[in-house]
Amino acid sequence: MDGPDEIIHQSMRLKITATLNALPGGEQLEFNTLKAVLNATDGNMATHLAALEKAGYIAVQKDFVGKKPRTRVSLTRTGRKAFERHVAYLKDLLEGGG
Amino acid sequence: MNVSREEAAQALKDIDRANDRIVKLKGYHHGAPFFIVWGIVWLVANSVSQFWPEYQKWVWPGSVAVGFLVSLVLGVMQSRRATPGTRASEQERRIGARIGMTSGVLMVFIVSVLLIAQPQTADAGNAMVSIFFPFMYMAAGIWAGWRLFVIGFITAAAILVGYFWMKDYFDIWMGVFGGGSLIAGGLWLRTA
Repeated sequence: MDGPDEIIHQSMRLKITATLNALPGGEQLEFNTLKAVLNATDGNMATHLAALEKAGYIAVQKDFVGKKPRTRVSLTRTGRKAFERHVAYLKDLLEGGG
Repeated sequence: MNVSREEAAQALKDIDRANDRIVKLKGYHHGAPFFIVWGIVWLVANSVSQFWPEYQKWVWPGSVAVGFLVSLVLGVMQSRRATPGTRASEQERRIGARIGMTSGVLMVFIVSVLLIAQPQTADAGNAMVSIFFPFMYMAAGIWAGWRLFVIGFITAAAILVGYFWMKDYFDIWMGVFGGGSLIAGGLWLRTA
């Protein structure tokens, strides 16, 4: 059995990847929507997104809508696989495999 | 790194909760513009029926046709939002097709009910068709999210109050409270 994914296992990062994983592949979610869904603050969210982006688990795209900046995030293929492995690890652990 | 069984159980619960929240949110955001469009259709058609009854025969088929056309355009626009060739676009297309088929089934059901029940007055026909939708929202809300249930409940209550106690002003009542509750409901869903 693979071990836990140390990047994903942190509570807020787990919620971020779980939320993005619930979207179909390739779909992006706006920063503000993600923040609202997870009841997070700007700073907290930005810190954890940066950690996930550094690991290659999420892709962050920044652009402008009119004059308003917009940040959208999506789960990368690497991130989706890492998330699935981590969930499998958690399930194995609960079923007595750990 | 060690993870206890309690931590694992909590993490899986968090994952389920995040899943539920985003599915519900996407459903709300998908549905919101349709509520607003049909609220406007309801508001316009009922208002015209109240103040210019001579146009009642034309305003209903006309505004329902416009409503369907706008809904179709909205559905296509929503399905194109996802990047082509991805699982997202395929899923959106499938959802769009299912919404279209469901709407078709519902229209046939409503026409069948009207043919069987043969309502004696225009108000009875209006109430009979209109009351079906809020109950459908309530039923869907039990599965998909409480906001949908609340919109359905308020709209159904408005229709029943209007039909039984506001007979002289039934059309405008239906326009303002029935159509208005759908428009307000759509705006409320957008804020979710």
